[in-house]
Amino acid sequence: PMSSSNTKFSAITGSARKIKDNAADWHNLMLKWEKLNDDGFQFATNIVNMRNFIFFLSSQRDQQPPDDFSPASASVQQQAAGAAELQDECSRLQAVVDRMVVIVAKMEHLMSVQQGIQDLEEFQFGPEGRTLPLCHSWKTKEFEESSRVLLAAFSQELKLKQVILQELAHTTDADLHMVYLSCWLHQPFIPAQTRLALEALLLETGHRSL
Amino acid sequence: MSLQGAVRRSFMALQDQRAAWRSVLGECDPLMESLGNLGQQMKALSRVRVSDTPLRAFPDLQERLQFQLLQAVDLLLQRLRDRMSRLQAIRDSVGGHVSAVLQLYQDSADSLDVAVATQRSSVAPSLADMLEWLQDAERFYRRQFLQRKTLLLTLRRDDRAQLEGAANAWRSLDSPDAEQQITDNLCRLAFFLEAQ
Repeated sequence: PMSSSNTKFSAITGSARKIKDNAADWHNLMLKWEKLNDDGFQFATNIVNMRNFIFFLSSQRDQQPPDDFSPASASVQQQAAGAAELQDECSRLQAVVDRMVVIVAKMEHLMSVQQGIQDLEEFQFGPEGRTLPLCHSWKTKEFEESSRVLLAAFSQELKLKQVILQELAHTTDADLHMVYLSCWLHQPFIPAQTRLALEALLLETGHRSL
Repeated sequence: MSLQGAVRRSFMALQDQRAAWRSVLGECDPLMESLGNLGQQMKALSRVRVSDTPLRAFPDLQERLQFQLLQAVDLLLQRLRDRMSRLQAIRDSVGGHVSAVLQLYQDSADSLDVAVATQRSSVAPSLADMLEWLQDAERFYRRQFLQRKTLLLTLRRDDRAQLEGAANAWRSLDSPDAEQQITDNLCRLAFFLEAQ
């Protein structure tokens, strides 16, 4: 059905469609990220628990008298099994981070598409852009700004997650473990304002009704 | 409206409100657990010197994480406040019923025979007993609400120790004996409530 916003879109070829798709793609990428974050948190928690268990086992072993064979051999087996499980869990977490790398790469691509639209606008309408707003009241430049903020946030968050991935299984400090898990879960570089930026972006492109 | 009828209606309302109360309290438990969890996270963050860890690559990490944790606490406290409002409504409802019954009793007190009022039968407790039980129930919900509301008011978003202990403090307000008393009383009223 034709509405006033639709007629605006149909009057402008190409760019408006691209921006609308762009915003939808951002939204989907962020949903995927959230799901990965939840999965990753589960694996990270398991890693911490396994790490503690192995540490506990090895400290038990250190306390065994050297000529007491049967309990020691059982705990060696347990430790080996524990180490293998820990390795599996680390691989799962690695897989999550790998997929997050792909998401950020896609976000970079969306940014460059955005830049392309911006450059085209400047070419066609000069540095001030078009006088008729492309979507509701925003200019294309502001779309680019929002995307830039989002990309920076997710890139930084990804770096943090890569550090956590590297360090989680090598730490024994309980407080640091908890801080790593906190960081993974609460995503300090993607605060609510970033999501609000996306909501604003989606509103502008008419994905959500006012 | 006969006094007996009013008493019966009050107890039936009490049954519903009791179920509603338990339901809302049940919703509070996981919220309190989460608060405790966040308190623990804040404590861990305060005990770690980020510059001594691999996280030193992110110089503003500590403030940002702290901010996220505080926001999460704020959200939980808001949800708990919403549940408090619902508990308050339940308390008010019970209170309303009981005071209406007591008013009715006072209005008819002159014409009431003490012997009749204290007479128990095999299928119904005495009127005096029932009025007392209603008052007990009203007092129970009034106290419970006050205690829980007070606890919630004392929870500060930046007091880690308090947040950590929130779940235990909340649980310590449970009063299983008093709850059991209400259950027992309602059991004794089974026949009375069925009669019309």
